[in-house]
Formats: sequence, C-alpha cells, structure tokens
Amino acid sequence: MDFGLTQTQELLRTSAREFLADRSGPATVRAVADGDAEAAERLWKDVVELGWPALTVPEQHGGAGLSFSDLAVLLEELGASLAPVPIAESAITARILDRFGPDAIKAELLPQIAEGDVLITPAVVGRDASWDARNTAVVANRTGSGLVITGETRFVSFANQATHALTLVNTDDDQLALVVIPIWKSAGVEQTPMDHASGVPVSTLTFNEVETLASSIVITGSEAVAATEELVAAGSVARAAQLAGLARAVVDSTVEYTTGRKQFGQPVGSFQAIQHHLAEMAIAAKQVNHLAHAAAWSFSGDGYSVERAAQAKIAASEKITDLCWTAHQCHGAIGFTWEHDLHLYTRRAMAWKTDFGDAAFHRAILASAMGL
Amino acid sequence: MRFEFTPEESDFRRQLSAFLDDALPTGWHGPADESRDDHWALNQRIKKGLADRGWFVMSWPREYGGADSSPMMNTIFAEEMAYRRAPGHDRFGTRMLGPTLMRFGSDSQRTEHLGAIARGEIQWCQGYSEPNSGSDLASLQTRAVLDGDNFIVNGAKIWTSLAHRADMMFMLVRTDPDAAPHRGISLLLVDMKSPGIQVLPIINMAGVHSFNQVVFDDVHVPKANLVGDLNDGWRVGMTVLNFERSGIDYAAWARAALEELVSYVKNDDSLVSTVKTNPEVRGNLAALNTEIEAARLLCYDVAWRQGQGAVPSAEASISKVAGTEVYAKVLDYGIELLSMYGVLEPGSEQAELEGNFFKMRLFATSGPILAGTNEIQKNIIAQRGLNLPRAPRR
Repeated sequence: MDFGLTQTQELLRTSAREFLADRSGPATVRAVADGDAEAAERLWKDVVELGWPALTVPEQHGGAGLSFSDLAVLLEELGASLAPVPIAESAITARILDRFGPDAIKAELLPQIAEGDVLITPAVVGRDASWDARNTAVVANRTGSGLVITGETRFVSFANQATHALTLVNTDDDQLALVVIPIWKSAGVEQTPMDHASGVPVSTLTFNEVETLASSIVITGSEAVAATEELVAAGSVARAAQLAGLARAVVDSTVEYTTGRKQFGQPVGSFQAIQHHLAEMAIAAKQVNHLAHAAAWSFSGDGYSVERAAQAKIAASEKITDLCWTAHQCHGAIGFTWEHDLHLYTRRAMAWKTDFGDAAFHRAILASAMGL
Repeated sequence: MRFEFTPEESDFRRQLSAFLDDALPTGWHGPADESRDDHWALNQRIKKGLADRGWFVMSWPREYGGADSSPMMNTIFAEEMAYRRAPGHDRFGTRMLGPTLMRFGSDSQRTEHLGAIARGEIQWCQGYSEPNSGSDLASLQTRAVLDGDNFIVNGAKIWTSLAHRADMMFMLVRTDPDAAPHRGISLLLVDMKSPGIQVLPIINMAGVHSFNQVVFDDVHVPKANLVGDLNDGWRVGMTVLNFERSGIDYAAWARAALEELVSYVKNDDSLVSTVKTNPEVRGNLAALNTEIEAARLLCYDVAWRQGQGAVPSAEASISKVAGTEVYAKVLDYGIELLSMYGVLEPGSEQAELEGNFFKMRLFATSGPILAGTNEIQKNIIAQRGLNLPRAPRR
C-alpha cells in the first residue's frame, strides 16, 4: 500500500495546478457553462499543447504510456478546478480502442488522439438514460463497405468538440457492435445541446443514415458488451476521481470561508457545529478519494476490478452532493447567491452523480460481484 | 500510489490466519467474553502462541525482542485478529505501555516489565478514565501523594477493561493539584494485588462483564513505579495513544459481519433467502461493502503515513469515526433483514445467526464512545486536520 504520489504523479499534479489556476479559473468555467464554445476550444488547445491527451496512450502509438492511476491524479485536479476539458472522455475511449480494437484502428486513431487531432467521446446512452451496456437504440445496416447508422444517443459530453463518438449499435444481423462514428461536420449527424447542469457541453446526437467504413468497428458480439462495460466502468472511476478533487476543493474553500467569517466576535469555524460539519465533509472527501484512486489503480494493467470501480462511483454518487449541501449550510446566505462560485461545484456534483451510472446502478453491479 | 500488499505482507497475513485456524475452537465466531474462564484460557493460549511465533510484540524494536515490523504489518496483524474475532491481542501491554516504557521508563522498569509483556505472561489494564473525567480527561482527580518511598493513591478509575483479569495497571494520577490541569498529572505502574484496591464489576448493556470500576483506598505504590518525570504524566501517557487511535478493528469486524450476512442471505435454507433477488437488499448490501472498503483504506492510509514517520492524528480520527460508524450500520442492517428474529437473544433456540448480530450491535454502541468519542474525534479532525480555529474556552 502506498498512498503517496510517484515522482511522475507529483510533477503532473504540480504542473496541472499551475496551469489550471492560470487558465481555467472561475471566469472560464462560467463562460463555458454559459455556452461560450470559443472559450472551451481555447482551453482545449492549451491542454493539447501540454500533451494531456497523450498521457495514457501507449508509447508505441505516440503517447506517454502513463497508467490510469497516474491519470487519476490529473483528473482529481480537473475536478478540483471544474476545468471543462474532455480529458476523461478522451482517455477512456482511447483505452477501449487499445484494449479491444483491431490493430488498424489503433494504428490509425491512437496517434491522432495523442496529438489532439482526434477526440472520441463516449455516446452509449439512449433516451432511457440507461448505462446498461446491453442496451442500445442505435441501429446499423450492413452494406458492402461498412455500416449505415441511425438512431439517437443522449447525454454525450463534449460532442461539440469531439471528432468521433464511440457508440454501441445493433446491426441488422442482430449483433452488437462498438463503433467509432465520425461526428465532426459529418453528413447525417445532428447535435442538440441539452443545457446540462454540469457546466460542460452535453448534447443529444442524432444519426440519420450515417455511413461509416467497416474499419470503424472496434469489436462485435459479447466482447462489444464487455468493452462497453469497461468503458462505463472506466468512465465512472474517472468521474469519481474528478468528484474527489471537487470535494477537496469544496472542503478547502469552506475551511477558508469559515475561518475568515466572524460572528459573535469569533470565526464561525471555531464553533463546534461548523467544525463537525467540516469534519464530516473531510471524512467523505477522503473516502471518495481513496476509493477512486484504488479503483484507478485496478485499471493500471490489463482489465480492472469490477468491485473497486463500482465502490468508487457508489461512494462518489452517494456522498458528494451531500458534501456540497453541507458546504452551502456552512457558507450561509453568501453561498446561496449566483455570484458566489460554490453553486458551480454543486451543479457539477449533481450532474455527475448520475453520469456513467448512479449509485443504484453501481450497487447492482457490486451486488452481483459479491455473489448476490 | 499502489493499492496492493507486498508479498511479505500477504504471506504474514496467510500465516497468521493459518495459526488462528488451529488456535480457535471449531465454529468459533466470537467475540470473546473474557469474564468466562474458558474464553480467558483461550485468550492466554493465543497470547502465548503469538509470543512463541514472534508476532505478539513484532512491532517492538529488535533490542526489546521485537521484529521492528512496519506500521502496515501491525495494521494487518490487528485487522486479521479482529476479522477472526480472536482474543489475545493485548494492546495495553504491547502497544501502549511497552512503547511508553521504552521511551520514558527507567532501566529497572524496562528490565522488570518488557520481557514479561513480550512473553505474554502478564496482563495490563489502563487506568485513565474516571467517574467525573471522560472526554475531559485532564480534569482527573485520583490523587497520589508522595510519602517517603511510596505514593499513597486515593480515588477511582472507571470503564477499566480487563481490570478483573489484570496483574498490573498503568494509571494517570494527580500529583500536583495546584498546577494547571495538564501539568499536575503523573503516570504510575500499580500492582493490582496491592492492599486497598477494589475491583467492582460493571456489566455492559450486552449483559457482559467487560469492564470495571477500580477504587483506590490508601494504596501504596513504590516511588520507583513512577514512569518519566513527576507531573509529566500527561505527555508520557498521551504519546502512545496518538499512535493507537485507528478504526481497523471496527472495519475488520464490519467486514466479517457483512460476509456472514451475505452468505446467510445467499443460503437457500435461510429464513431470508427470498430477499437475495430483491434489488433494494442487494443495493444496501453493496452500499455497506463500499463503506467498509472505504473505512479499510482510511486505516491503511494511517499505517502508510506512520510508515513515512508521520504522526497522522487527524487521519487516525477519521479512520476511527468511519470504522465505528460502518460497524454499527452493518449490524443494524443485519438485524433489520432478520426482522422479528433480529432481536432474539443469543441463548434463544429460534435465534438466527446465533443471535450474534443482536449481541454485537449492543457491543458496537461503545465504538463511537470509547477511546475518545466520535465528537472529540471530529474536533481533532477540524482543528488538527483542517486547521480551524479553536473556540475560546469559558
């Protein structure tokens, strides 16, 4: 057991903190939440320049070959700063291509992902908002050269910035297939913004007879289900790591506020009622942090721990919104205002409580893993 | 970051587990009731067995017969013992007094006591709490007055676990009533057979004699039994407590209880087997599994920090709160699932899971209270961990 950071991780954390404090402050977060696509693009360009999309891409495909555990350190910082950048989305789709895709897809797409020329976002949820990997309402007809895809996916993060979507489809020969669909200015692809509380762009993607090549198929059959399950699990751990960072930031800012704010002639943070609120917040933040990093660690080799992934998202989904509500209570009236940044964190926490599966979804997965 | 044990750590856990397979009676599910002679004998046997294998004081430096084992190994030891609900893990001697004597004791105190502790030959108890001094321990009133070569001790200690089995007590006494509360306290070693000591049993709410009130009436304690300097007892007596606060016992007990509950629910012959497909029940059991895993990681975090040479005070408090809370939660849920059967006493023929969940739940009431209430722990987390300002006192 080692709860400390490696040198690489330490470096990643320090540089991320510096960069994010400089480029992704509350003004940027608010601008992107208000739909300022240019602000999002600018930030993404800077992030690409830093090489973050390449971090977990294997070295043989032009990446830095870091582990998912390393990535979690960065994700924590992205969560703490609310940075509206699709690093989690890019890293988990790249992982699925690398783990399940044919060599041709890897050779073509992974280097471009590392360069920031290709950004693939997960699009595996339909109208029913279900993260069940067996469940898709997108259909694909096989043609001589590939697939013609029709259907709708919802709750797709960063679809407006992504070049491709990674989507599970039902083919006309009644098979499931995980497919990389080009969505950037593609004929037949329609995007509708969903005005999502997360503050990052989230859209509905509609596919109207979108033609893709057979080479865009990552994997088919039961393995496509396994790949999608792993995609959802990796996404849930990424969200847990981001929420752990968010929680830490909320604890820190609440400590700062209650230390400075005076009533009855003393800092409100000296009152036991406030101290116990904050102690409970600190406990929850640490629990989610440890479960998230333990889960991320389990992704570091081939495969992952189903239990650890579920535990991470169960805890994150159950605890972090409560932590935010307690933070509002500690802030009093100022935390109820639009002007104060606290609600940005609360909105993100509420939005990601369900993203990549809510607590109930992951409890069911964990119960099965426990043999129930 | 690394979330796996070293081969050495895993080996040790396996060896200890195999030892307990042999040492514990068939069908043992604990917890031990040390007021029962058979359980006390088991406690003594396991202690000796652990000592023979070099595990009993493995946390000690080699010069005192230990193995200088890492805090992580010590945590694994505590976890495995608690997970099996095995008696014989003597914290008072091996983890509290022993290290205190190494640091503050005189040569003759070390010679006299450390060997006996290491061999598992002597039982110590801890005399800190008093009827009027609980969370506010520094207000303790038991007096020790120096008279020639002896301290004359008068007063009372309470909630003293195992006083009815102990040979010796290490106790905090007030030696300077005029000094500020923390500055007039000393630590004494007292033979429990001394004239004037009365051990009065206290039966806990589970119906078990686990702790006592100990009354001191003109008890003579040799001056040589003072540990450290006169009036320096607060520092001497607190140093080791800081290292000892951990939730690992509770996290391990909770894990054992949840595993029992899950296998009970899965068993087609059990009264509640129909609920195993119920999504709510499955979800609740999974949520408990998550909480337990979180508590466990918090304890490993404490051990890791100790291994780095830190004194993780707030982290230890966090692990204690998380562990004690989830333990009670698991037992509550087990009792809820057992429904009407959940409240049958262990002796009842109709009791399921031998009535053990009910009994353990009553015991678990003490977790958030003892060794610093969880409210005190939260104060520590807020003030030492988060650096929040202290409220002005009165």
